[in-house]
Amino acid sequence: MSVGGGKAAGGNAVGENAAATNGGRKRVLVMLLAVGCVALLVFPFVSPSLFYVSLLIEVFIFGVYAMSYDLLMGYTGIVSFGQALFFGTGAYTAGLLLIHTRLPFVAVLVAVIGVSAILAAIIGVLSLRVKGVYFTMVTLAFAELFHVVVQKLDKITGGADGLPGVPSPGILGNRTYFYYFALGFAVAVFLAVRRIVASPTGKVFMAIRENETRAEMIGYNVFVYKLIAMMVSGVMAGLAGAVYGVFLNYAYPNLLSADTTISALLMTIIGGVGTLYGPILGAGVVRVLGFVLSSYFERWVIFIGLIYVVIVMFLPYGIVGTWRDRVARRVRAGLRLDARGTGIGAGH
Amino acid sequence: MSFSLILSLLLQGLTVGMLLFLIASGLALIFGLMGVLNFAHGSIFMWGAYVGLAVYTATGSFVLALLAGAAAGAAIGALMEYLAIRPLYGRPIYQVLLTLGLMKVLDELVKVFWGPVVYSFPKPEFLSKSILIGDAIFPVYRLFMIGLGAALLAVVYLFLTRTRLGIIVRAGVEDSEMVQALGINVRRIFTFVFALGGALAALGGVAAGPFIGVYPQMGLENQLGAFIVVVIGGIGSFAGSAVGSLLVGIAQVFVSYFFPQGAMALNFALMALVLLLKPEGLFGGGKRA
Repeated sequence: MSVGGGKAAGGNAVGENAAATNGGRKRVLVMLLAVGCVALLVFPFVSPSLFYVSLLIEVFIFGVYAMSYDLLMGYTGIVSFGQALFFGTGAYTAGLLLIHTRLPFVAVLVAVIGVSAILAAIIGVLSLRVKGVYFTMVTLAFAELFHVVVQKLDKITGGADGLPGVPSPGILGNRTYFYYFALGFAVAVFLAVRRIVASPTGKVFMAIRENETRAEMIGYNVFVYKLIAMMVSGVMAGLAGAVYGVFLNYAYPNLLSADTTISALLMTIIGGVGTLYGPILGAGVVRVLGFVLSSYFERWVIFIGLIYVVIVMFLPYGIVGTWRDRVARRVRAGLRLDARGTGIGAGH
Repeated sequence: MSFSLILSLLLQGLTVGMLLFLIASGLALIFGLMGVLNFAHGSIFMWGAYVGLAVYTATGSFVLALLAGAAAGAAIGALMEYLAIRPLYGRPIYQVLLTLGLMKVLDELVKVFWGPVVYSFPKPEFLSKSILIGDAIFPVYRLFMIGLGAALLAVVYLFLTRTRLGIIVRAGVEDSEMVQALGINVRRIFTFVFALGGALAALGGVAAGPFIGVYPQMGLENQLGAFIVVVIGGIGSFAGSAVGSLLVGIAQVFVSYFFPQGAMALNFALMALVLLLKPEGLFGGGKRA
């Protein structure tokens, strides 16, 4: 069940070749990136209201959450419909610990990592026995099971009302400080995942995505690698959920619902499957577009849904994937021109 | 535990089961034939309920409401296949992702027309009484739902086994390439099965209206139940979806009577269990309709 993104990853390699021929374009990109970084760093001071700061905080958090989905779907080729399980559990774990204990925030995050990893391991061992659509449905079932259980265990989780009054640890009660924390969180996770994806383990993930049988025949234990991917992804989603719960000062059952999984899917697909930048961009597009549209239309979600449908049908690699693809194609065309000019490869 | 209580719970379970069957049968046929797990199927069920309610309010005829709902469901199903699913054959994951998007769009669209509120669907006069079974009171409407479900089950079964078109559909589930090689336009069969599945689900929606009300989340909620049924019965198996529906319906009613907290969790646990022990489902074995 290859999900694509292979093409996008291929485009990346060609893009590196092109650095020499296309230095100008690269310089522009670096400059844009630098401007973007500076803009993100000074944003809280130039933002007309705290509302926009909060909006960007949400983009960072959901960016991490969508990246966790991309690692699974875009890099390993596993389509899970249960990602909300980890996001919501992270939020509840952090919420319960912050309400009932005096643990420092770092310890809470470590606990969230532990809980998410163990949960992902258990669910992975059970559900990875089946593949494809069956896997998709088992993960959906597990997520819905948790969704129901959280609502039933009202003594601990507050039932359908959720867990209000999750305290903000230390200086994170201040929106500006929280902004920098969320930004740092997103950047740190992004760098970590990029490192994982480039590592030998990451290469095996992609081998599984491209051809699972072949990866197995070469001698990799596909089950173990899929389990690792699920655990890493689960930890990322759990952390994102924990940060989101602290941001809202609230954890509620809907964080575990199918809708929360669908939002990760929307962001990943719109941004670009298997690109890592894509999901962050997708989170930005969905959140910001949602904000803009919602001030004009009551039922704005329908537009997000339509954009998603159009992207799935016509741009299967999302915004980032399609863009990389176009650059790669233009570079290839350029190389052909060069070859003709210098006479290389014309001797047939 | 008295006999009449068992009987009453059993009948109630059959009601829920028939409702599940109307959604699950279409899901199973579509998956069996095309390998598409249609996440928008519950949305067709919901659209059926809304269209049915609108027609019922306008004309006062419940039979017309059922027919209009079924027609709307067939139209939505056929359009969905023709416009959206068809360009993506050969990319099954993208088809699943697409149906998820269609679900979002259809669910929001219903709120554009009718708003996010819950409507009550009044029972038609002739079905609004209750009868005594033993010493338990049982609403006639539920008996009607059981009857409707059983009738549709029989019709679809006869269609699949006795008519030329039905046999082609079953052959397509078995091996669609072979059917195509024999000179039959499988693409047209695909559209037809989507329409048939849509009509069944929408009929279920209209019939469910007076039972559970009409509201935007009714699609997703009942779809999850139907997924469970389809997995338990065997994805792609019509017989499996029929047996699975009744099993899940009855189990759900009994468990929620004696252990209300556990009903929903039981279903998901059941599904996980079947998937882990016999991933092809109870009737999955081969790929059979």
